[in-house]
Amino acid sequence: MKMNILLVIGLIAITDLLDTISQLILKSEINRTGSDIHSIKNALALIVRLYKNARVWASFTLAGISLVFWLFVLSKTDLSMAFSIDSMRYVMIAAASIIFLKERFGSTRWLGIASVVLGIVLVTLG
Amino acid sequence: MPKKNQVTIKIISFLALTDVLETIIQFCFKKSAISVDFLEINGLASAGAFVWAIIHSPFLWIALFSAFCLFVIWSTLLSKIDLSVAVPVASFSYIAVPLVSAIFLGEKVSLLRWSGIGFILMGVVLVSISTKYKAAAV
Repeated sequence: MKMNILLVIGLIAITDLLDTISQLILKSEINRTGSDIHSIKNALALIVRLYKNARVWASFTLAGISLVFWLFVLSKTDLSMAFSIDSMRYVMIAAASIIFLKERFGSTRWLGIASVVLGIVLVTLG
Repeated sequence: MPKKNQVTIKIISFLALTDVLETIIQFCFKKSAISVDFLEINGLASAGAFVWAIIHSPFLWIALFSAFCLFVIWSTLLSKIDLSVAVPVASFSYIAVPLVSAIFLGEKVSLLRWSGIGFILMGVVLVSISTKYKAAAV
């Protein structure tokens, strides 16, 4: 059973969006909690602190939902195509960095993002 | 203690291992997904049925276990080398996954699609290299 290509792209976009949000939450929580790991005892303490953190669980939940979408996409389309389109996460993370983190990009990064987008278009057409 | 970003044979081997693991993960995800491709999702109940069916596939558990291993190896690697060094090597999975799909899953990967994969790979490498310049500027 093959799906409409636009639906495939939309579903992969949802997967990557959920993944991006999940990563942003995890990153901000680790930044807040601190991640200086000097010893195994220290590392375990960090894991316990994160384990008790509701936002970390929210992040895991989003990652889980993202996985369900991904598996659904794979049940309907070629892995070779889906995995390539999945690289749109780089574009989303770039967009999130500009919008939420007010980052500025140099020309190398813009060129890279343009190349990823062009690649996705070619893979979709192929 | 080796200094940061010293890329040793050991680090290259582990970087190669991340490519292999990523390919195994995606292959196993696909195998588990194929086993339930008769299902349509059009609501929460059918989504539940999909999840219930797929967690019975051993491939899903192989993939999740591999993902856990990948996470541990990747985190360790990033404490030794910069992301801008690690990502370009790790993104060879953009070639390995379609290759495995073509060989073991019988998928047809056209020349146009391979060229698209080439652009994606170049883009990922450029984005990760630009991280280095940014870090240097800060």
